[in-house]
Amino acid sequence: QDSTTWRVQSHWPSSSSSYDDSLVRIKNVIEERTDGRVKLKLYPAGALFKAQQTFDAVKRGTIQMGTISPAYAQNQMSLAGIASGLPFAFRNVWEAAYFHQNMGFEDMLREEAAEEGVYWSTDKVYPTEMVVDRPINSMDDFKGLKIRSSGALQTFLTEAGASASYIPGGELYTALSSGVVDGAHWGAAQGAASMSLYEVAKYHVKPALNIAGTDVFIINQKALDKLSDEDAKTVKQALDEQFWVRTNEYLYKEQIALANAMAEQDVQITTLPDDVQQHLTEVAKKSWEEQGERSDKAAEALDKLKSMLTDLGYLDDNA
Amino acid sequence: MRLLNGFINAITRLNDWIGRAVALLIFVMFAVLLLGVFYRYAIDAPRVWTTELTQFVFGFYAVMSGGYVMAHRGHVNVDLLYSALAPRVRAVLDVLTSSLFFLFVITLLYYGGTIAWESVDSMETSYSAWNPPVWPFKIAIPVAALLLLLQGIAKLVEDIAIAVGAIEPPAVASDRDSNPGETA
Amino acid sequence: MSIELTTLAFFGALLFFLVLGLPLTFVLGGVSVIFLYFTWGIDSFYMVASQMWGTMENFTLVAIPLFVFMAMILERTGVANSLYRMMYLWWGGTRGGLAIGTVFICAVFAAMCGISGAAVVAMGTIALPSMLERGYDKHMALGAINIGGGLGILIPPSIIMILYSMITGVSVGQMFAAGVFPGLLLVVLVAIYVLVRCYFQPELAPALPPEERASWPEKFRSLGAVLLPILIVMMVLGSIMLGMTTPTEAAAMGVLGALISAAVYRKFNWTLIRDASLRTFSLTGMIMWILFAAHAFSAAYQSMDAQAMIEGWMELIPGGPWGTIIAMQVILFLMAMVLDPVGIMLITLPVFMPIVQSLGFDPIWFGILFVINMEIGYMTPPFGFNLFYLKGVVPPSITMQDIYRSVLPYVMVGIVGLAIIMMFPQIATWLPGYVF
Ligand code: NA
Ligand code: NA
Repeated sequence: QDSTTWRVQSHWPSSSSSYDDSLVRIKNVIEERTDGRVKLKLYPAGALFKAQQTFDAVKRGTIQMGTISPAYAQNQMSLAGIASGLPFAFRNVWEAAYFHQNMGFEDMLREEAAEEGVYWSTDKVYPTEMVVDRPINSMDDFKGLKIRSSGALQTFLTEAGASASYIPGGELYTALSSGVVDGAHWGAAQGAASMSLYEVAKYHVKPALNIAGTDVFIINQKALDKLSDEDAKTVKQALDEQFWVRTNEYLYKEQIALANAMAEQDVQITTLPDDVQQHLTEVAKKSWEEQGERSDKAAEALDKLKSMLTDLGYLDDNA
Repeated sequence: MRLLNGFINAITRLNDWIGRAVALLIFVMFAVLLLGVFYRYAIDAPRVWTTELTQFVFGFYAVMSGGYVMAHRGHVNVDLLYSALAPRVRAVLDVLTSSLFFLFVITLLYYGGTIAWESVDSMETSYSAWNPPVWPFKIAIPVAALLLLLQGIAKLVEDIAIAVGAIEPPAVASDRDSNPGETA
Repeated sequence: MSIELTTLAFFGALLFFLVLGLPLTFVLGGVSVIFLYFTWGIDSFYMVASQMWGTMENFTLVAIPLFVFMAMILERTGVANSLYRMMYLWWGGTRGGLAIGTVFICAVFAAMCGISGAAVVAMGTIALPSMLERGYDKHMALGAINIGGGLGILIPPSIIMILYSMITGVSVGQMFAAGVFPGLLLVVLVAIYVLVRCYFQPELAPALPPEERASWPEKFRSLGAVLLPILIVMMVLGSIMLGMTTPTEAAAMGVLGALISAAVYRKFNWTLIRDASLRTFSLTGMIMWILFAAHAFSAAYQSMDAQAMIEGWMELIPGGPWGTIIAMQVILFLMAMVLDPVGIMLITLPVFMPIVQSLGFDPIWFGILFVINMEIGYMTPPFGFNLFYLKGVVPPSITMQDIYRSVLPYVMVGIVGLAIIMMFPQIATWLPGYVF
């Protein structure tokens, strides 16, 4: 029987733990379960396409599959903003997982991506956390910070009173070490470690800025349709299963990375004081509304999210 | 022949004129970067637009240079064999190798065009904190490719004319002006 | 067709059209399109335009036009000229003194920016005419600028090192620290080469005749010429070290310094501004268009499964751990002749790093070998950015052939440096161990 080979452009560099744990894993699972009828040819970040163009390339069918962050699909997907994480919404990773898989957010994402001819499957949900070079003990400490940020979180941090500026990844380490900025977020503990940020910023800030499905698999729908029904089903099931395996595994590895940083690089955890947390939550709530205004779908998703947070006791009924 | 020379000169002048205007964007990059440093370092209030604006201006500046650089024969080549050849032989060779030029530039024009069109169609913005429109900068790709293509056509016409002996090769043996911009 | 044959055809086509004299950017772009057609078909042409947009979005490249602009202003204000006059007064008695001084200035430049081309443009514009005027052999002068420019990626800060760290997971800070002594080692090796060569062939870099040498008062008076250049260096380096700017933003500080110099020298006028900005535009445009096409070329090559070929080769290499390390250096050297460093990283490092680590070698040390190899690659023909930058600024009398020929001895110096660091890893690993 004929085999199909899909070209897969990743947004992870080959050294990233997710390259092996997510991408190589799904390759092995799919190849094994289809008895080699579906093969994946992997390309590390930037090899064929830059991360920002991968959605387009998959949509056009130049490559059949890719991994992205929802932020790179903002232009095509009105739900991408909510998918990449509303600040200070969830407090635990399981809540974000529940929102995606049990409250139907993943299905909404799939519907919207399908309009672009793309199959969407979230790889995992995980937190985004800051590292800073000084402890944050008060509102003044927080407002005095220069933070490297990007996208929606940059707007959020600015509105919350910190000085958030965008610095490209390639200059982040130098900027943090020379004091151009005092803090940054790059994923959470594993991300910060991968960029050597703990060498120059010794405080890991809790709680998370957001918790979201920040890594996503996308597949060209036509390529998926060309598979036999059985193989297509196998691929989809493997991806569904991947979400749970990886979300849990990632949490586990986060803790290990943080423990290592604390043991080997004298990193300390600094928890934002209550008044700062409260202030950030208030500012965050306002920023959520903008995402809801992007489309009817986005408004629906935001309503779902708010009702869930209300049920959890995080929001007042009238919020 | 007058028509021919007129055509070649018109395209070269067009690219030169556009190039002279775009070249001044270096001041925008310089000023915006310094302003960014000032806002962040001196008054502790970074602006969300400085880095990104510099970035986009640079992309525009870089891509729009293609036609200007070609008009001044500034695209670097390897002159090992080339410089030893007679002008007419060179012209023949250039006509042949121009096929590669056209392949590349037409690809850029067409596929850059589709990228730009999709961006315009959806009024794409960058979704950064500043969130400016991206499409004006994406349009620069097909526009720059078109300017380069025109210059390439002008050069092809000139080369053919030289090859068949219709016009004299340019008097200067050097393939590139040592100081483009000071010649026009 | 096997990947080995495809590779041969791919690079063969590149060389063929290069020799026929078609500008490099069109060769790279055209060959990419042809090979994409045969590997993935017409749909993949989208990749060429998409890579172009990706390159336009690369912020760290903004430093290129700014540093070029700075050099163009400095050249036209006379600051540069008086700087070289000062150097000649002080070291005129030493054969090759100006070439060594040039490499030294390149090292200072390297500490100010993270890329390779800035120093090449600056020195090609400023130092080259000064050296030629004083009777230096053109090959000696061109080569010194070529190798000096490459120091930009070895002496921190360095974009290539940051990319290496991102791809391999090693510490950026340790990589930066590891580059300091190897960078200085290369400066010393170049100085030794120049001194020895000129001892035997004084005509290559003539010393000032004794009767023309400057008196001490003259020498001290000439020192005034370094005030403005030092001011600029302090503005650039100081703003990085004080945490005012990122390395790219620091380039704008350099431009500010150059404009101040122009005002001090009373050369600040519209003609200066217009000429400098036009030269900057041509040169940046020339390099950026090569980069646009080079990125498409790398992507096209990766689409042909280049990585599998490297993997296959690695299994065939005899000679134990050191045989493997040396073979890797040879592969990097050959690839650096025809590809740009970022493409080489993406193709080779995912294959090399697990092997390097399983053999028990220090990835920081290997990173330094890698960076030195890329530095050499910047000046090995036919494809090397330093070569193109230089061609962009030299007078028309200097051909690409001259530039190609000039690098040979300096490539040897680079290889000697590489060998020394292979034999004495402490040169690279001591400082990072000490600092961290
Ligand atoms: Na450097
Ligand atoms: Na090279």
